[in-house]
Amino acid sequence: MRILGGSDAEEPASIRPYLKASSLSPSGDTPNKASNVGSEASGAQLRPFVLTSGRVTADPEIGLETQVTAGSRGGRVPTSRLSPELRAIVTLCAQPISVAEISARLKLHLGVVKILVGDLRATGYLDVHNHDVSSPNSPELILRVIRGLSAIV
Amino acid sequence: MDSVPLSDRTASAPGSKPPLPVKIVIAGGFGVGKTTTVGAISDIAPLTTEAEMTEVAVGIDIPGQHSTKTTTTVAMDFGSVAIDAGVKLYLFGTPGQSRFGFMWDDLARGALGALVVVDSSRLDDCYPAVDYFEHTGIPFIVGVNAFDGLLAQDLAAVRWALAIDDQVPVVAFDARDRRSVRDTLLVLLNRALHKAIGEQVAAT
Repeated sequence: MRILGGSDAEEPASIRPYLKASSLSPSGDTPNKASNVGSEASGAQLRPFVLTSGRVTADPEIGLETQVTAGSRGGRVPTSRLSPELRAIVTLCAQPISVAEISARLKLHLGVVKILVGDLRATGYLDVHNHDVSSPNSPELILRVIRGLSAIV
Repeated sequence: MDSVPLSDRTASAPGSKPPLPVKIVIAGGFGVGKTTTVGAISDIAPLTTEAEMTEVAVGIDIPGQHSTKTTTTVAMDFGSVAIDAGVKLYLFGTPGQSRFGFMWDDLARGALGALVVVDSSRLDDCYPAVDYFEHTGIPFIVGVNAFDGLLAQDLAAVRWALAIDDQVPVVAFDARDRRSVRDTLLVLLNRALHKAIGEQVAAT
């Protein structure tokens, strides 16, 4: 995994065995029977459905701009038992970051990132900050954006 | 796009409060200047995220059925602008093809509005985008990218050719110029504000 080459260096230098997380993410198994999905995706090292264990449905609450941060476990608990993709996502989320930015920086498909972020939220590594996108944007919020944008020179 | 060194990451407290994200969609045909528009105003160099058609097929195709679309890639360029301490504006540039329907719905959900970028010499490129935003009711304006300060047609002709509502602003702008892009986005936001106030009044 070329794109993840730098992530090892960002891990703590040595992790004592007893500190290692015992739980695996739900996406442990690699389904081989799903290979009838289609031809290989160009440019990706692994087919997307392998990374997501064949799942194609992400939480609809997770949008492109949805903000993700390291969860209660993310900061301290070693992520060495996670797959390289999951570990790279957790590393990126040390600061608030959008789902789209995770996808761009790790060169992972958006759909894949959404599913993996959902997994990491379920296992406590990440917090996903959903906002109510079903309600229309309020005039107050739009005015706030207008004020901020107007200040740009 | 090197990642931030670890020392910089640990300097800021983990779990710091994320901003409230808002977004504007920058739509239009290929080569009309969407990415240039995003790059002119973004705080960061525009990033690209790619989604194969499998992404688009989520929720549309029946799982397990063979799809022949999986090799088509949709590239989306985006940037962001820090509005204030608590709000971050994302700008998503998206191709104008109507067949990327799912992608658009995902993109447009919750958007403040959309800027449809138009090359006045190739108006037909933007029809799917105009159709889409008219249909979904998302506030939008048409921005005619004045390549080298020249417009192939005047704005009235563009409005006539696109057959858009008189209330939809049609403006000329320079996608390379930060202030021009800012002012164009402000026209869009004012349009969105009027719509939001109107809906608020109607709801009470």
